[in-house]
This record gives sequence, C-alpha cells and structure tokens, in this order.
Amino acid sequence: MTLDTRRDLPLEDFDDESPDALTLSQAVSPRPPRRRARGSRSKSRRLAVVGAVILAAIGFLVFKGLTSAIVFFKTANEAVAERAQLGNADFQIEGTVVHGSVRHLRTDVYRFAIASSGVTVKIENTGNPPQMFRPGIPVVLVGHFVGSSNLFASNEIMVKHSAAYIAAHPGRVRASPAKSS
Amino acid sequence: MMLRRINSDGALRVLGTLALLGMIATVWLGLFVTPNAVGYADGTVRLLYIHPPLAWVMFVAYGMATLSSLLYLWPRTRHPRFDHLAGASAEVGVVFTGLTLVSGSIWGRTTWGVWWAWDPLLTTTALLFVLYLGYLAIRNVPGDPETVARRSAVAGLVAFLDVPVVFFAVSWWRSLHQGPTVNLATGKSYVHGSMAWTLMLGFVSFTLTYIWLMAHRYRLAVLRDREGDEGLEAALAERWAEAVR
Repeated sequence: MTLDTRRDLPLEDFDDESPDALTLSQAVSPRPPRRRARGSRSKSRRLAVVGAVILAAIGFLVFKGLTSAIVFFKTANEAVAERAQLGNADFQIEGTVVHGSVRHLRTDVYRFAIASSGVTVKIENTGNPPQMFRPGIPVVLVGHFVGSSNLFASNEIMVKHSAAYIAAHPGRVRASPAKSS
Repeated sequence: MMLRRINSDGALRVLGTLALLGMIATVWLGLFVTPNAVGYADGTVRLLYIHPPLAWVMFVAYGMATLSSLLYLWPRTRHPRFDHLAGASAEVGVVFTGLTLVSGSIWGRTTWGVWWAWDPLLTTTALLFVLYLGYLAIRNVPGDPETVARRSAVAGLVAFLDVPVVFFAVSWWRSLHQGPTVNLATGKSYVHGSMAWTLMLGFVSFTLTYIWLMAHRYRLAVLRDREGDEGLEAALAERWAEAVR
C-alpha cells in the first residue's frame, strides 16, 4: 500500500520552512520496516540503558581528565627537582632529544638524553622509537626513574610536533621512499 | 523514479553539488598535488587536510546548536524551528566529533607513535562526544513536545560548557597536541604554499558538507514534527517498498 502523504496532510503549517514539494517519504532514506513492536516500556528501558552507559562514560572521562590530563607530563627539569617525591613511580616526562646522544645499545634498547630548561635526563628506552623520532625534537616518555639514580627507564616514546608544515620538496610531488629513512 | 523529487529544493541541490566537488578537489589536491612536509614520514602529513576541518565543523555545529537552544529558550524568539535546528546541528556535530577523534587517532599513531593518550585536548574532546551523545539521548526522552524541547535546550547549553574547554585545552594545559594550525585571532598559519590552499579548501568543503547535512536533518525534523511518528513509519515503509521494487 502506498500512502499519498502529500494529499492527506495539511500543508498550511511550516510553509516558510518546509521545502515546496517535499513529503516525508521523500526526505527519508529507504530502510526495512521494523519487525519489533516498540512499546513505550521497551523504549523507556532502552533509554535508561543508554543513559546509564552515557553517564558512566562521562564519569570515566571526567576522572581521567582530572587524574591524567591536567598534568599530562612533567618537564625534565621539574622531574629532577621533584626526584625525591617521584621515587620509582610511573609518570610522563618531556624534553628535547639532545643532539648526538642517541645510541642503539641492542635490539629494542635505545639510550639518549633529553633536556629541558638546561637540565638533562638520561633515558634508556625499551621498544622501537616512532618514525618521527630524531635529535632536536620534543618527546614525551612514559616510564620511571631507576633505583635512586637519575636514569629514566621508558617503554613508550611519543613524539610532539609543531603546527608548522613546511614543504619537503617544493618542486617535487613525492619524496623518494629510499631517502626517507 | 522518485529520486528526482527527493531534493526538490534547488538551493540545497546546488549546495550539495558544491560540497561534493569541494571534497573531490580536496582529496585530489591532498593526495596527489601537495608535497610532503619536512619531518613527516611519507604521506602522513596528508591528514592535515581533513583533521583540522573536521574539528572546525565540530565547533561550528555545536555553536549553531547552542545559538538555536538559546533562541528557543528566549521567550520572544521561541519557535519549534529552533528546537529542530539545535537537534539537527548537534547530530551532525556528533558525527564530526567522532570523525575528528578517529582521524586524530590515526594521525597520532603515525606522528606521536600512539593511538591514544590521556592528554587534556584528547580527553576533553572525548568527553564532548559523549556529552552530545547524551544530549541526543535526552532529545529522545518522551514527553509533551514543548517540555521536551525546553529540556533539550537546557541540556544543549550544559553540553556546550565543554566546548570552550576543548578549544583552550592546548593553551591552558600541557598537551601532546600542537597548538591550533590556524590562529583564529591573527589568521596566521605556518602552512606552506599549496598545502595552505588545500587546507583552506578543506575548511570550505567540510563547512558546506555540514550545512548540507544539517539542512537535510532539519527538513526531516520539520516534516516528522508535522506528520508524527506514525507518519514517519509510513513514509519509511513507502520508501522501502520503492527501494526494493
């Protein structure tokens, strides 16, 4: 059965905003009819579940925001200044990779130093650094100080980048893949 | 074929065509014409042409939803059209927030090295996504139409509280995320030549796409309001019958 909605329904309302010859059936995308009977009780139960999930998600995100996001990382100089309080607890440390400090000790183990406001921290990272890792760029590392030393053991490197986008080869469309590494 | 009658509104059809052409041009320029950027692994910088425009539309959509909610709550301008507009804009905003999070996650993996970090900008944006999902859920809570509209408008204003937090997260707290690509106050950006033009085109085409999507959702809301849920079910059945014929 087809329903001529255009003839059946009053058009005098919304004349200023509804498109001229548009009916509801033309505004919707085809979708198979719903099999399930939609009583008001099942709808309110569904809304309660949706509401609970959303509230839980909001609570979780606010908690994460207050605990992890506000102080997402400490800079190298702050970490050294707070060395005693930090102990061997996990935290995020930020600094610029010192030129000439990167050494590949063995498979998956890299040693380098980061600096911030003139204070240097030695890093031993386990795991492969991301593609963009190189000396002179700011990085955020996840890990902890080792023993009572100022050596920071990290297992994750996150590379910060600026909002400057400079053409690598203005005259060329693509850099050759061989040169990129 | 009924298809020709679907978009009887000429202006919307023109808008849709422009949005589509803009998207095609953005993709073509972004993938094949623009150069690689210094410091980026081959190709990864190309997310530049979609990620900031997606985030921009997210702000525009929530701004529009908030303005409409305010106009609905203000007694002198109260009209169902502002309720429909708020709902339509927030709905598109949620889609673009989701896309911002996904594109950002992919970009984060290729540049920072991680899919996700509990960084202030990322965390508050995820919160924004869930807040507006909650707003859309509240719009669906049954009740007297005027009460529902008023309740939704208030919820819309509450959800908006997180928008300035997201916007300023990078300057208020330490973030893994870089500052804004285009400084809205000074109009300055540090994007080179053709990359800047492509990014600009991305902003325009994504904005056109937003208007087009929102206008369609708005029209649907107006028609649904006029013909009721039964009318909607009947219309869906009619379209389905047409589609499978």
